[in-house]
Amino acid sequence: MDFEKIKDAVTSIEMSKAMEDRVKEKIRKRKSGQVLFKRWIPIASAFAILLAIMIGIPYFNKNGELQVANFTITAYALSDEAQLNTPITSEKATIELGTGLRLGIVGMSGGRADLIFTDVMLKIVGEQIDSITYTLSDGKFIEDVIFSYEKFIDKEWLLSEKIYMMGRDPGSDVYEGIKEVGNTYTVSYNEQENYKYTLAIPHDGNNVIANDVIINVHVKYTDGSSEQQDILVTQEEDSIEVNSISLKLK
Amino acid sequence: MLQQVVWSDELDVERIVDTYGNMLFSICLVILCNEKDAEDAVQDTFITYLTKSPSFNDSEHEKAWLITIATNRCKNMRRYNIIRKHIDINDLQLYSKNDKNHGLLDHLMRLPTKQKIVLLLHYVEGYKVDEIAKILTITTSAVKKRLQRGRELLRERYRKENEYGL
Repeated sequence: MDFEKIKDAVTSIEMSKAMEDRVKEKIRKRKSGQVLFKRWIPIASAFAILLAIMIGIPYFNKNGELQVANFTITAYALSDEAQLNTPITSEKATIELGTGLRLGIVGMSGGRADLIFTDVMLKIVGEQIDSITYTLSDGKFIEDVIFSYEKFIDKEWLLSEKIYMMGRDPGSDVYEGIKEVGNTYTVSYNEQENYKYTLAIPHDGNNVIANDVIINVHVKYTDGSSEQQDILVTQEEDSIEVNSISLKLK
Repeated sequence: MLQQVVWSDELDVERIVDTYGNMLFSICLVILCNEKDAEDAVQDTFITYLTKSPSFNDSEHEKAWLITIATNRCKNMRRYNIIRKHIDINDLQLYSKNDKNHGLLDHLMRLPTKQKIVLLLHYVEGYKVDEIAKILTITTSAVKKRLQRGRELLRERYRKENEYGL
């Protein structure tokens, strides 16, 4: 197939004269309305600033950014104590992944090689928060689990618990595995420490993140109201070698 | 003074619609597969342009900016399901005079949005992989992946068409 023909095909598309006139007319109308509206902008702005000062908003977070929600998100890699609680803001935060342990487990199973198993966890800090729901646009949340030999030979239990990739240290009776939690889970605010769910992100076969991934963080407050923020997970070209992912608020 | 402002706006509307109207419409029509939605997306793009009045280094910069706004608008329209029904292949003659192109356009329109956009930017607008990555704010590897997948899908659809004699 000659892909160069795509250009001829697409550039052969043209707006009709009627459509072109319609577009111009609509733009002109919107633009003239804009001119009148613009006269009020300085007055409205001054009034808004005055009002904001009077009621004490907007307020800014520690990084000097306008806080868009009443909760903050931090991320950290379980393997790296030095990186504890990196704040997620609109600036890209790079999190180094602990590869040693993970690659060992992945290598032993050989299965589900389409995911990069990170050890990155998220935590929410805020007030009057009841629960938090995380949803991944692509990929899974996973949990490291350990179990006994009896469980190891119980294939039905392993399947029902969605446990993949198993291994054990030589001479040990304790088996290690990765449990698939799913692409979403909800956790109570006060019980966040009990859930060590980490991110597993799809890759293209060469440990390069196939597509940008969005993590939606939906926070429900004790008064019934809720707020949400999206986190964009990316990977820089040069991060394949150093093995890291970047997170930032979308 | 006011007369001058109005006159200048008038010239600007004429210039951008004449220069970029067809290019943006073709991109939006292929992405959205509906002429009304494509018209709305083009119109919104131009309104954003005139409202924000951004400054550009050159005409290439201006074109890339307009494409970014238009493709984002299209993606949002698709995301929130506010698009209308898929254009009928027979209606393509209203917008593309050469009927030899209709089969390819129909195949292109039926591709997933992600792949469609990178194919358009690469093969139609002639952008390189790193330039597309900047326009779409994705990684170069993601662009390569989408290009590859888009080509595979198009090949596959042509193969099936020939196989079944459709």
